[in-house]
Amino acid sequence: MMTEYSNLSLESHNLSVTAAPITSLPVEEEMMTKAAPITSLPVQEEMKTKAVPIISLPVQEEMTTKYSNLTLESHSISMTAMPMKENNKGNQICVDRGIMLQRNVTLERPNMPAEKNITLERPSNVELTCQFTPSGNLNAVNVTWKKGDKLLEDNYLVNATGSILYTQYRVAVINSKQMGSYSCFFGEKKQQRGTFNLKVPEINGKNKPLITYVGDTVVLICKCQDCLPLNWTWYSGNGSVQVPIGVPVNDKYVISGKHANETRLKITQLSEDDQGTYWCHAIFELGESEGHVELVVLSYLVPLKAFCAIAAEVVLLVAIILLFEMYTQKKKKPSDDGKEIEQGEQLKLDDSNGIENSGPRHRKNESVGQ
Amino acid sequence: MAYRAEPPDGGWGWMVVLSAFFQSALVFGVLRSFGVFFVEFVAAFEEPAARVSWIASIGIAVQQFGSPVGSVLSTKFGPRPVVMTGGILAALGMLLASFATSLTHLYLSIGLLSGSGWALTFTPTLACLSRYFSRRRSLATGLALTGVGLSSFAFAPLFQWLLNHYAWRGALLLVSALSLHLVACGALLRPLSLAEDPVVGGPGAQITSLLCHGPFLRYTIAITLINTGYFIPYVHLVAHLRDLGWDPLPAAFLLSVAAISDLVGRVASGWLGDAVPGPVARLLMLWTTLTGVILALYPVAEVPTGLVALTVAYGFTSGALTPVAFSVLPELVGTGKIYCGLGLVQMVESIGGLLGAPLSGKGNRISRWAMAAVFYHAGGGGEGN
Repeated sequence: MMTEYSNLSLESHNLSVTAAPITSLPVEEEMMTKAAPITSLPVQEEMKTKAVPIISLPVQEEMTTKYSNLTLESHSISMTAMPMKENNKGNQICVDRGIMLQRNVTLERPNMPAEKNITLERPSNVELTCQFTPSGNLNAVNVTWKKGDKLLEDNYLVNATGSILYTQYRVAVINSKQMGSYSCFFGEKKQQRGTFNLKVPEINGKNKPLITYVGDTVVLICKCQDCLPLNWTWYSGNGSVQVPIGVPVNDKYVISGKHANETRLKITQLSEDDQGTYWCHAIFELGESEGHVELVVLSYLVPLKAFCAIAAEVVLLVAIILLFEMYTQKKKKPSDDGKEIEQGEQLKLDDSNGIENSGPRHRKNESVGQ
Repeated sequence: MAYRAEPPDGGWGWMVVLSAFFQSALVFGVLRSFGVFFVEFVAAFEEPAARVSWIASIGIAVQQFGSPVGSVLSTKFGPRPVVMTGGILAALGMLLASFATSLTHLYLSIGLLSGSGWALTFTPTLACLSRYFSRRRSLATGLALTGVGLSSFAFAPLFQWLLNHYAWRGALLLVSALSLHLVACGALLRPLSLAEDPVVGGPGAQITSLLCHGPFLRYTIAITLINTGYFIPYVHLVAHLRDLGWDPLPAAFLLSVAAISDLVGRVASGWLGDAVPGPVARLLMLWTTLTGVILALYPVAEVPTGLVALTVAYGFTSGALTPVAFSVLPELVGTGKIYCGLGLVQMVESIGGLLGAPLSGKGNRISRWAMAAVFYHAGGGGEGN
């Protein structure tokens, strides 16, 4: 099976379930990923006899015979059953027929579930590796692989170097059937598990609802960050039912896209029936991915009513202010003349008071003086 | 009508303060929070952000250059009809903008029409305020100008809420309704006749006499210089912080802190300006010098606490100088000529404001602060004369 898919790109993914130094790895890896000259076989066998029995060596041989023009990708996560040691970061360089495979080992805290999300766009050969450092005897560890809940029988290797146990699973992903969750299990006292989730790239629609008005034109955009889907399709959803939007429906719907990683649905002559959720599906060789955009169509009356209400309130305010002013001025006007007369009288009174006051004071002083 | 010898310093004057408060909120608060709309315009018209930001630039330019027109008209007809007309124009501009089909449409409706509406409201109102107060002028001006800061806080989230519920067309319609309140504010501006009015004559005569007035001209140049430096820190603060490695959220928060201390500064300075005897111009020199010093310290401060302290201080001093700057003018030219005087000052200072931001954009991080500091010192020094 594997030999037919030699023209596919190889994707290598490592899930290391250990923290031990992996200085011995380069040699090991070189052995495992080398194209299959039979000359390497004895060495390989020799290495592997030290460890847990190997399964499916011939399959591995067959698969590695036919790569051509590979693009290789590798990721790795480590976790361990033991307390973590220091200085566990290392770069290893592995070579496969002249192509450099750089492997960065990144470490996580112990006892965290080891899970890795892998985004695949095109058919490729995928290599998943789990590393595990058991606390006890290597040989006592039971290694299994599962896809979803189904136990996998072949296409994987188990190896050991020093105190680290490696297991590697290879799969040629050519259509959506091979996508999903692959898990490696190390059965020791407590079962350790590492999971690789193979998914198609995600599509971004819009999180906030898009608000438009009746009669307007709107453009709904779905984008994919770094991927190039084969095709895009649009559906409008009413409830849970998705109805495809066919392009030749007068000029109402126009599907276009400036770049391959985005799609635009232009809807003209909006009406309130067009309200709802729109789904954009991106079709890859390996499956489908979808995003959604919510559309809200309002009538012009909605903001207009609010506008009229506020405008009426302003008119009312102005009327109140002006009326109040006229009222106070009316009150002032007749009394204005009165006030002036009063003021004049007040002045006269003050003057007379002054004279009168000075009189008694004068008299008082005289009386005091006497 | 009986002519009063002295401004009332209270009574209906406080209603004028209220009116000025709401007006500065509705004019400058709207302008400052308009950035929220820009994101929508960029998406809706598919134009680059630089072109969209011209809307605000045109609006501000028209508002400031059109100030003399507002002044002249209010000298002739009194502030009330002028401000009410301005309110209607501003609201009309926003209303028409909600039907826009292109960016040019927005330049004309918001930039030109609303801008001229704003020109007819802000200057006459502040001038009217100066006429109503003499002893408490600085405090009244300070209180009125707090409207700008508070509304920036309130309007930005409000506009975002409007955009989320009504999209930009509906939101513009409702902002137009909001701007209609300028008309109500205008109604509050009761005409006041002061004893000096018949003496100074009509607007034409006033302008010519002002242009020959030495102290007035020096004041105008000083204010222009200050205005050139005024916007630079606000424009570049966030970028400066990001350069130093700050995250966007704390940087934005620091701007809010600056806005709060700006508010406090305005009121405090207003109170101080009235409490301290003697010419207000000295206080203006004090605040501008302090601001210049603070800005000069910016390139030196790298520690977060230092930057926060500097920003709070900057907000306070730059807020403090605004009411004082407005209060100096009536002392210089008298309350009779205040409308025309203020209009002319606004027009000339707007040149500084327009030039300041682009000029500073050319320099590097440190030179910008130095430039701003220089402008402030120059302005302060000129004012001291």
